[in-house]
Amino acid sequence: MRATPVRVLLVEDNPGDVRLIREALAGSKALMCIDVVSDGEQALAFLRREGTFADAAPPHLVLLDLNLPVLDGREMLAAMAADPALRDIPVVVLTTSAAQNDIRGCYELNANCYLTKPTDLDEFVRVVQLVENLWLSTAKLPEPVSP
Amino acid sequence: MQPPAQTQAPQDGYAGDEPSYAKAVLNILEDYSEERSRQIDSHRAVLNILDDFDIEKSKVEAANRRLEERTAELGRSNEELERFAYAASHDLQEPLRMITSYTQLLARRYRGRLDSDADEFIDFVVDGATRMSALIRDVLDFSRVGSSPPELTWTACEQVLERALANLRGVVGETGALVTHGPLPTVLADAAQFVQLFQNLIDNGVKFCLETPPRVHIAAQPADDGWTFTFRDNGIGVSGAHHARIFQVFQQLHSRAYPGTGIGLATCKKIVDRHGGHLWVESEPGSGSTFSFTLPDRPTAPVAPPRPAARDTA
Repeated sequence: MRATPVRVLLVEDNPGDVRLIREALAGSKALMCIDVVSDGEQALAFLRREGTFADAAPPHLVLLDLNLPVLDGREMLAAMAADPALRDIPVVVLTTSAAQNDIRGCYELNANCYLTKPTDLDEFVRVVQLVENLWLSTAKLPEPVSP
Repeated sequence: MQPPAQTQAPQDGYAGDEPSYAKAVLNILEDYSEERSRQIDSHRAVLNILDDFDIEKSKVEAANRRLEERTAELGRSNEELERFAYAASHDLQEPLRMITSYTQLLARRYRGRLDSDADEFIDFVVDGATRMSALIRDVLDFSRVGSSPPELTWTACEQVLERALANLRGVVGETGALVTHGPLPTVLADAAQFVQLFQNLIDNGVKFCLETPPRVHIAAQPADDGWTFTFRDNGIGVSGAHHARIFQVFQQLHSRAYPGTGIGLATCKKIVDRHGGHLWVESEPGSGSTFSFTLPDRPTAPVAPPRPAARDTA
């Protein structure tokens, strides 16, 4: 059992989905801290601790929706893959699209896992809890690098 | 040709009769000139016919070009419609997911804590949203089939069946359905579309059930230049009058008694058509149904769009 909370950066612009994900993660036994940003540009600024995010604590895991305003999830993934400081941060994509070219594209950009948001509530909760179980409670994640 | 004017028999040449010689020559020249005229007229007539032929030929060629352009336009318009249907259904899923998820959450968290009217209202909302979700999903599947030509690969149908059954885990579990099969071949087909095809046919065979448990048996027989697959179920059956109708989009025979969006079989037909095959049903009410489709060894999309089947009298 971790002593310090596992930190998750949730990049999601739909407040309904943000709430659903929080609800689904609420039952977790793991100590968890969720930061939310609503577009890819803010997400990169958060990860690089720029501007308003200068004091942000670096996350262990990024949970990423692809359909975002300003800078979409695919572009953000590309930026992370190209940045040596961000390349190693694990990313789990949780998005509506089930299109093969989106799936392949994300894995090519170093995404660790691709999940499609289920339409059914129970399924949605189950998938989010699966992510929590595997990625946050079981898998070993690199400790985020503090400056 | 008129015979040359009578001339006097030559006597030691014409030297002694110059006027008749000259007349004979003139006559010959006249005849020749008339003949020439007639030949020129004939030629002109033939040239006119050839000209007319050329004009007709260009008219036909122009008409053919317009027809080709029209066909290409219709093809493009069709593709546009399919892409639109795909994009629309995809974009509709997200707000719908919000409605479905949050009404389900409401139902769960507040059931019994609001009055019974509220419970009932919530149930209607959840039901409506769930049905709409199924519809959008099916429209998405249907339009996805049309949006690109089939990607043909060697496809093991036994694996296709496993995939389809995995996707139908829920339905099969709920109904206790028994799905059996004979040996299934490896064929040249679009694997993803075949999973959809098998899935829809099994789902259809399972959900309209008369006796429990519903049973579906899948078999494949070699045919002349390919295979014939059969999906036999013990469901409620379809009367002969409706056999053609069930493959049309949104043509459901039972409104709410049985689940279904009315798109599943239309999607099956589209997939089979695009592989150059033919899908049909043999069935009578009360005695189950056998859905069969052919798959040619060398699947091709039909060259011309198939003519729509004659409207059923049903």
